[in-house]
Amino acid sequence: MFRHFLQPILAALLFISAAAPLHGNESLGEMWGTAKAEEKYYPIVDIPIPTTVPLRPGGLEFLPDGRLAVGTRRGDIYFIKGITASPPAPEFHLFASGQDEIFSLAWREGAMLATSWGELTRIRDLDGDEVADSYEALSAGWGYGEYHEFAFASKPDPRGDIWIALGLSSSYVSNNLFRGWVVRVTPQGEMIPVCSGLRSPAGVGPDANGTMFTVESQGPWNGCNSLKPVIPGAFLGHPASYNWYPFTRDMKAPAVEPATPSRMATERARIKELVPPAVLFPYIKMGRSLSGFRLAETGGKFGPFDGQIFIGDYTQSIIVRATTEKVNGVWQGACYPFREGLATGIMNVEFSPQGQLIAGGFTTNRQWPVRGERPFALQRIDWSGITPFEIREIRIQPDGFVIDFTLPIDPATAADTANYKVSTYTHIYHAGYGSPEVDHTHPTVTAAEPAADGMSVRIRLDRITRDHIHDFDLSGVTSRTGEDLLHRKAYYTVNEIPQ
Amino acid sequence: MTGILLSPPQLFAIARFAVLTLAAMTCLPCVAEPVIGGLANTRPDAALRGTILIEEMNCVACHSAPSTLAARSKAAPRLAEVASRLHPDYIESFIRSPHTVKPGTTMPDLLAPLPAAERDEVAKAITHYLLSLHPTPFAPAVHDPVAAAAGNRLFHSRGCAACHSPRDDAARETGMEGSVPLGALEHRYSISSLTAFLRHPHKVRPSGRMPDLRLKDNEADLISHYLLQQVRIPGALRYTLYRGLVWEGIDSENVTAEKGGQVDGFDLTLLERVPHNSAVVFEGWLHIDEPGPHEFHLAMNGGKLTVAGKDLITEAPSERKEPGEFHASIDLPGGIHPIRLEYYQTGREPRFAFEMQAPGKPRGPIPAAMLSVEKERASAYVPPVIDPDLAAKGREHFTSIGCANCHDDLDLAPKEFPPFASLKADQGCLDGDSNSPSPRFGFSEEQRAAIRTALPKAAEPGFDDATQIHKTLTSLNCIACHQRDGLGGPSQGRLDLFTSTQPALGDQGRIPPTLTGVGAKLTKEWMTQVLLHGGRQRDYVEASMPQYGEAQVEHLISLFDRVDQLEEAKLPEVGPILESKAAGYELVGARGLACIACHQFNGQSGGDLAALDIAHVPQRLKRNWFDLYMRQPSRFHSTTIMPGFWPDGKSVRPNILEGDSAQQIEAIWNYLSDGERARKPEGLSRETNVLRVGDVAEICRGRSPSTGFRGIGVGYPERINLAFDAGEMTLRQLWHGNFATVDFGAFKPNGAEPITLPPGIPFHRLSSPEENWPYKGKSNHAFPADLGYQWLGYTLDEKRRPLFRYRYGQITITDFFEDVTDGNKSAYFRRTLVFDAPSAQESFSFRAAAGDSVKKESERSYVIGRLRLVLGPDLTATLRDGTPSEVLIPLTLPAGKTTVTVEYHW
Repeated sequence: MFRHFLQPILAALLFISAAAPLHGNESLGEMWGTAKAEEKYYPIVDIPIPTTVPLRPGGLEFLPDGRLAVGTRRGDIYFIKGITASPPAPEFHLFASGQDEIFSLAWREGAMLATSWGELTRIRDLDGDEVADSYEALSAGWGYGEYHEFAFASKPDPRGDIWIALGLSSSYVSNNLFRGWVVRVTPQGEMIPVCSGLRSPAGVGPDANGTMFTVESQGPWNGCNSLKPVIPGAFLGHPASYNWYPFTRDMKAPAVEPATPSRMATERARIKELVPPAVLFPYIKMGRSLSGFRLAETGGKFGPFDGQIFIGDYTQSIIVRATTEKVNGVWQGACYPFREGLATGIMNVEFSPQGQLIAGGFTTNRQWPVRGERPFALQRIDWSGITPFEIREIRIQPDGFVIDFTLPIDPATAADTANYKVSTYTHIYHAGYGSPEVDHTHPTVTAAEPAADGMSVRIRLDRITRDHIHDFDLSGVTSRTGEDLLHRKAYYTVNEIPQ
Repeated sequence: MTGILLSPPQLFAIARFAVLTLAAMTCLPCVAEPVIGGLANTRPDAALRGTILIEEMNCVACHSAPSTLAARSKAAPRLAEVASRLHPDYIESFIRSPHTVKPGTTMPDLLAPLPAAERDEVAKAITHYLLSLHPTPFAPAVHDPVAAAAGNRLFHSRGCAACHSPRDDAARETGMEGSVPLGALEHRYSISSLTAFLRHPHKVRPSGRMPDLRLKDNEADLISHYLLQQVRIPGALRYTLYRGLVWEGIDSENVTAEKGGQVDGFDLTLLERVPHNSAVVFEGWLHIDEPGPHEFHLAMNGGKLTVAGKDLITEAPSERKEPGEFHASIDLPGGIHPIRLEYYQTGREPRFAFEMQAPGKPRGPIPAAMLSVEKERASAYVPPVIDPDLAAKGREHFTSIGCANCHDDLDLAPKEFPPFASLKADQGCLDGDSNSPSPRFGFSEEQRAAIRTALPKAAEPGFDDATQIHKTLTSLNCIACHQRDGLGGPSQGRLDLFTSTQPALGDQGRIPPTLTGVGAKLTKEWMTQVLLHGGRQRDYVEASMPQYGEAQVEHLISLFDRVDQLEEAKLPEVGPILESKAAGYELVGARGLACIACHQFNGQSGGDLAALDIAHVPQRLKRNWFDLYMRQPSRFHSTTIMPGFWPDGKSVRPNILEGDSAQQIEAIWNYLSDGERARKPEGLSRETNVLRVGDVAEICRGRSPSTGFRGIGVGYPERINLAFDAGEMTLRQLWHGNFATVDFGAFKPNGAEPITLPPGIPFHRLSSPEENWPYKGKSNHAFPADLGYQWLGYTLDEKRRPLFRYRYGQITITDFFEDVTDGNKSAYFRRTLVFDAPSAQESFSFRAAAGDSVKKESERSYVIGRLRLVLGPDLTATLRDGTPSEVLIPLTLPAGKTTVTVEYHW
């Protein structure tokens, strides 16, 4: 299966014929097998949806009054009260309707900002009857004329700007203005192109440092899904969108096009604008079609993962985590399994003011297989208050890594280097679709030194390889109370090695 | 069996069919007597039964009577075009021996009194005569098994099988008792002629006993393919084309058969279109003259070749690989061997080639001559050669033996028979003597007895109203589906054939409604709609409500009205009507009695059930009946799911209208009286793709056929609609009636024939009279922003109608379409554009309409195809010819606001 997760939507709409995406006998990937264990720490709560409401969530946003706003495929926006209560007692109010498919929502100064394929719409209720009557096109400045041209948007940044990631016209080409770019729309409606080189991005949002990132899909020039930093002037890897530089005020296309087939590190040396993905999500092991994401800023209400990014996956109906850090001026980081067993294809996630993670999405009939079976669903992941024993975060060091844990570790198992299995691999960077994992190495863990407080371990490797995913398996490490790790895997993407 | 028309294989076919028919006869007692569907299901008294028989056998065609008997009687099929409709062999054999060929037919055997040899000759001559009447020949064709499978379902669910016999897996009649016989249709019709008949049965059978089932789209065609699947015509191979996730194999639930038929070889180019991700199965027989090793060579992505029962090549298809080449060899003895090839058109650059190398022959495609669809090759249909002398003789026979008396559309003189009044109960057709010289109807003794009883009064039977109704319901076999006062209703054996698209509604959702008391229930207007104009409310009942024609059923409307009487309900004095309607709105909605939890409202529902649409209640129901029904639904349907909401006369919603039951019922009636325009009740589901307009406008956005990707569809309360392109800020489509169907980011207009306007921005400064009006192409990426346009969105007025806003250079435009009705005319749009300019603007053109043909009607009126554009006061326009032709309104704006109005009528 080599196609982007949202392809099914178009397939569902139009092309039932040509582009059947997936080998039916192929599995959607092994389950992690951790759903039952996860339930104890992060129970999934179902939000009941009346049969009269075609919810199919795309965009999610919490209103200042605590209601959840849901923008739907049908082009409706519902305000839902009572969603954070236990058990949930939702009351649905239809705020706006008649829009194109909504992929993102953001509330700004008394107005709902809804992003659909071709427009960022500012939706307001002017007469105070709680039903929208003004649908202002804040920007429709990008092209929309083909069935693959998705548009996902961020929440307002500190300046109030909305960042919108624009999918290509197909996997390979950009036929309409700024397709494959991220653009920024100011509160006044001015559209400012930011950077080029995307294929079919989904969610857009900041990490804990305030840097904007977008989720990218596996496909041409992308060996697997990734989190890419949205840096002004950058070229993010897929050259189909070079053609729109002449339509910017003062940006210039990179002088060089990437060679194919190649490696990311090789091409970075050739193309100064090329910015590598910060976090790679090994295909199938860590999702097949990552979608919307959100930074956890819950003040600890969601457990030990504040400051981390939580990302939904459409095909596998899972949630994964990611962390980022800047090394030698380049963004990189790691990803970790978090929760599986959601009910439908996850399109977006959002944190409630109470620190619960809301996840919503839908399936698209038979055009695109999804593990979760419900045609659409809205679910809430609560933290039970019990801290799971997890790898909290991995950070790079000149000769190894620091691994943070959520609970104190057992010093004996944590000091045993045999309990740290590390392998590395990368992808072919090329114009072809996806990539196998290649150039495998098997570094030796030469030392494992638990910290005095038991909350982290410093490991040393005989070598670290640039441009490689470092694949960790910490099966043998237990907590001080003898618990196994809830998830033993983590994946760190090394773009740079600190000096 | 003689006759120059018959070739030996055809003779064989007819012989076989006669045998089959006889076999069928033996298991059906009394099947040889003429079958009247309605009589088979009921046992009316002899007088009524006899009268019905006299009418259905069309006795009056020979035995004239100065009464309404002729009008009441069933006319025989029209024969003017029979040559194109029926197989010539069938015509001949049917004339020769109607009761053998089609047991149960009402056609009398007129040739029986003749000596056998003469019988053959007369039948042949009449056949030649009939064939000479119409130039379009009969043309048999092979059926499509995929269509036939769909037709099977339709035949059994639409109501065909309510009167005709249900069929078994091989599509043969099971011979259910009381079935109106069809005989062996495969020897009789072609697919096209049967389809034409099913679409307009009354053209051929004007008396409506075979009703018009109002089949939709290609349903008639599908049923024909089903009924005629035994037709054999020569060909090389049978094929079936599959679509879907074909790499899972053709048995996958994600693969559907799309079509099938016969083809002249293993050649995709012979099929209309074999798209990517499809599979084709070829099946047939391979004729081997020279035994020996045969090599087969295949190029394909995946597939399976089976010859003589052996799987020679099997290659699993994959969406992700390129075609490969495969070879296999088998030693074949001389003879005929089955051959089957499953081919998958999938993966990268799909390619197909299939060749064979036979002993001593060059490698190449298998020639059609070596293939056949049947093991024994069918013989081709040979159109008859009409002998004019014979035809002339046939014409004489047609008159002399009395065919023309019933088949009176050919303007031939009828044969003289004794008048009706002089008929004797035991003579002529009724003498029961198989050697009698009279026409033979094959009556049973019981039928004869009934006719004898009815004979004296049959011309003017003087039945009372209730009996009249009984007689019509029986003659037309309404009672095959409906029951009335214990009469009829689906027979036990047929009950399961009645199905519903909403099984949860139970029997009321699948079985046509009872006619008991129907005259007290339905308004005469609605009854007229149902009986004469195809009016229908229960779309979930899969059986059709067929049409019988005005002459057959119009009298029922007033008969039902007279016969069915109920006591008068006491209707209360209603106070202010708006207050009553508001209470009705509340009662119908989710917080009131939640009628919409079960019932549809204007095509939408509020729950899982979608029972009868209550937005049409006052159109359909008599007010008196509504009141009585609401008080006690179970009185009218003992098994209804509908509960009573006023148990013991007390309302379950005491807070509305002070809990006054009578007032509440009246309030619901008053509210529903606004029909589809009523304000949508609370709690209607949005989980439907069909957008309906109530008392406010509805909007949908996305791709549509006319607007491209940035479309906005608006349905207005006055039942007119438009599609606007927010990309070019231009009007693209107008239509009346139903609004739109949405499908996740796309919409398409429902309702009647939309008017489509060409693409292009609304305003432009033409650089020359010849300049093409600008529109968005594939490569003008910055268009129309490069011409100063910017889309600003819209606001909604109190009726939720949009005021579009956009910018053209320095000018900000508010563009409002208002749905207007004046008097009795149909609704139209008044479009008001308000231009707000910061300073005086250089002149530009407003293209108010464009199309293929534009005519100026007057200074202020232009006609563009079916559309009329009327200019507002003080406006003038020029007509610019071209493709399209355009109505251009020159505008020169001063600083400040300028208002321009135009109207669109169609």
